[in-house]
This record gives sequence, structure tokens and C-alpha cells, in this order.
Amino acid sequence: MITDLIAIIRDYWLLLLIGQYPNGPLGGLANTLILSALSIGFAFPVSIIFALARLSRWPLLRWPVTVLVYVTRGVPLLMLILWCYFVVPLVTGTDVPSFVIMLTTLVIYQGAFLSEVVRAGIVSLSHGQMDAARALGHSYLGAMRFIILPQALYNMIPSIISTFVSTIKDTTLGYVINVPDLTFAASQVNNQLLTQPFQVFLILALVYYVLCWSLTYVANRVERRIARRRAGTVSAAIAETTPATKIITEQP
Amino acid sequence: MSTSVIEQRDPQAIRISNVCKSYGDYKVLKDINAEVGRGEVVVICGPSGSGKSTLIRTVNRLEEINSGSISFNGHDIHASMRTKELNLLRSRIGFVFQNFNLFPHLSVLENVAMSPIRVKGVPVAEARARAVKLLERVGLADKQTAYPGQLSGGQQQRVAIARALAMEPPVMLFDEPTSALDPEMVGEVLSVMKSLAAEGMTMLCVTHEMGFARDVADRIWFIDAGQIIETATPDEFFKNPQHPRAQRFLADLRH
Repeated sequence: MITDLIAIIRDYWLLLLIGQYPNGPLGGLANTLILSALSIGFAFPVSIIFALARLSRWPLLRWPVTVLVYVTRGVPLLMLILWCYFVVPLVTGTDVPSFVIMLTTLVIYQGAFLSEVVRAGIVSLSHGQMDAARALGHSYLGAMRFIILPQALYNMIPSIISTFVSTIKDTTLGYVINVPDLTFAASQVNNQLLTQPFQVFLILALVYYVLCWSLTYVANRVERRIARRRAGTVSAAIAETTPATKIITEQP
Repeated sequence: MSTSVIEQRDPQAIRISNVCKSYGDYKVLKDINAEVGRGEVVVICGPSGSGKSTLIRTVNRLEEINSGSISFNGHDIHASMRTKELNLLRSRIGFVFQNFNLFPHLSVLENVAMSPIRVKGVPVAEARARAVKLLERVGLADKQTAYPGQLSGGQQQRVAIARALAMEPPVMLFDEPTSALDPEMVGEVLSVMKSLAAEGMTMLCVTHEMGFARDVADRIWFIDAGQIIETATPDEFFKNPQHPRAQRFLADLRH
């Protein structure tokens, strides 16, 4: 069993790592990492914009985004991916690479989910924070930027991380529209070996696990560091333990 | 624009005229008329639910009003204006909250220095130096690097006063600044407020501290059911209250 795993990795590590590159498109783990990083990198600012729009006083901003968030959250991701895959080329009239389709879909989908997390973080702060900011003369956006968002995002780190982790996991769905990612590479390996699906997909699972776990670990460390700084050195021991339990319970 | 809003167009610092406010059918403020002169210390007192806090929150437009006007140095706070102008007006009215509302993600020094930097564009070094001076003034020079969560209620409220003073407002509003404090911490906050009054700051305070009202206030407004039913000097108010409701209020306090 272990020897099978080692043999598969020894024979196919390059395919799993970078796909068919340089003879074909970049794929494998490299592409999964790029897709995940770009999705998270774009979805995060998009989610903040969505959240602010949802909280806006202007219906013209609030309503379209509210509809978008509700629809996106109420539809399976796979359906959304297929829909974009078939509709976007029809509308634009050009052949859009499946990687771009996947990235756009993930950004909108995870942006919508994350926007609810960010919005909850903002709403859960006491009104006094905004009152105090306004009383000091801060503009609405200034108050958001310097006072509300830093607190809201910090309080929501566990939920934000769990959304990031599910973004990484959701990149696997790119498989159905032939995005050459790690899952795609593993399935190619499986098609060549035919007899060892358990071993191949176990490797796949392990890689995703390490990927998601590392992200959680890093976020955990960052959160603890902030907590320690705020609590001062005296109560560092408390800060050390509490956020950790929070993150474990939040993990998807 | 900025100079026009700062300009003083009225001998009174705050002028409240015919202010009415209601939440649905419930009338919180009924035709309030009052003035605060420059350098004057006014204490608003009255039973809970009488509209004291609502009134003071309308003065810097944290609450909207239904009719009437409130002018600050001759500028109507509730007039329709660009948000920039409103923010500038607000930055010139210090406000101290019952629950302090310090920014928990910022250190004490950052709490005090941030708004001058972000709102007024004061250079960072200058704002920090001034913040240190203000913290010294409220007796918290040694807490600069602490976070609000590490401070006692009294210390937090003193930081909140320093934070408001950092904007160099000509007027300070206090909304029950000692109501959320343990009894032994009330004194430290009141003494900061007293020293402010002694320096000639224009102050409007909602408070239940009758000792403070007696010693520091130039005038007392007694509010009941959304109306100012008595305006008097502390001497008159405590020795010889005119309105039966004020008499009852003072009698209840003595129990």
C-alpha cells in the first residue's frame, strides 16, 4: 500500500505538480494554488464591497447586491459553474478559458458567502463604535476603514478562514469544466493506472488536507498574535487558548 | 467651506429652538427651547426616560429631529448640508459617551491621536505628542501603550475625554459620563470634568451627579417627559425648586 503510494508519486510527481506544462497548459498543484490564491485574493475585497453595498442607505446599491447574494447563496456552486461555462461564451461570443470561468464563478460565489460573514461582523459591533467615530468627525467610509472594518474583520477571522478553506476545496469542481488543476491531474493518473483509484485519490486527499490545514494554521497564528498584542503580555495565556478553540469549531 | 463652518456667528455656543422629536407616536422631545452661552457649564438632569440623552445626542446630530433647529456657533446642525460640512461641525463638538466607546483595537495613544490624524490631517508626530500631553492631563501618561480592555472604567472614560479633547473642540457634550462606573471611579472622571470647566470650556452635561451640578454648573435644566420644565442656577434649583416635579425629583434623591 505505502509502496504503491510512493511508486505513484515517483512516477507522476511532475504531472501532479505542474500538469502537462511546458508541453500543455499549466496544471496540477501549481494551478490549484494559483486558482485558490486568485479566488481568495479577489473574493475578499469583493466581499467587503458587497457587504458595504448591502448595508448602504441607497436602494440602488443595496437591492442589486442583495439579489445577487441571495441568488448565489441559494444555488449549488456546480450549477453556477456549468451555467457560466455555457452562457458566458454565448454572451461574449468569444472562447473564454475555463480557468477564467472558474475564477470568476468562485470570486462571485465565495464573495457572496464572505460578504454575509463581513456584514455579520459589522452588524455585530455595538452602535457606539460608529457613534463615537461620527462624533469625532469621521466620514462614513473613514469610520468603516479605520474603526469598524478592522474590528469586524478581526472578530470574523474564524469564519473568514473557513470560507477561504472551502474556496480551496471548491477549486476541485473546476474538474467538470476541464480546468487543469490537481484533481484533473490525479484523474489523468488514475486513467492511466486504472487499477489503483484508492491510492491515487488518497494522495489527492492528503495534498488538499495539507493545503487547507496550513492555511488554518497560519491564520490561527496571526489571530493569536493580534489577540496577544491587544490583551497585553499579562493575559497572553488566555489569548493563547481561546481563539484556537474558536477556529476548531468553525472548521467546515 | 471649511472656514465658514468654523466661523462663530452667534454669541451663544448652542441654541436649541422649538426642537421636537418622536419615535413613531411617542414624543420624546416636545418643543425644546434653550441656549448654552460660551464658557457656560449646563447640567441637564431629570428622571430616566425624560429625553435627556436623546436631547444631547441631537446636538451633534447623532439623533435626527422632526422639527425645530439646533445651532452651534450660529450654524444649523440639522440643516441639509453636505456630509463633509456636517463631519467638520461634528469634529468641533466633543462628545463623551456613557459607555466610553473607546476603539478596542487601538492602543490608548492611538485612540487619542487617530482622529486628529485622519480627520484633521495633523502630522502623525505632532498628533502623538499632543495625545501624550492630553493623557498626562487626565492622569494616564503611563497607559499610552495599553489597550482599552486593560483599563478600568474610570480610566477608559478619562481616555475618552482625552480623545474628544484631541480634536480641540470649543464645546464638550457629556452623556451620563459616570453612570456606567463603579462608585469609587466616579471621582476621578468628575475631577477631570471640573478642571475642564475651570479652564472655561463650554460644557453641556447629562448627569445624575448632583454634587457636580451644585459645584460646577452655571445653570441646570430640569427635563421631564420631553420638556425643559425648569431652568435655574444650582443655588435656586437645590434650595428652592419651582416646579412640583422638580421638587419631587429632589426629594427622591435625598432618600
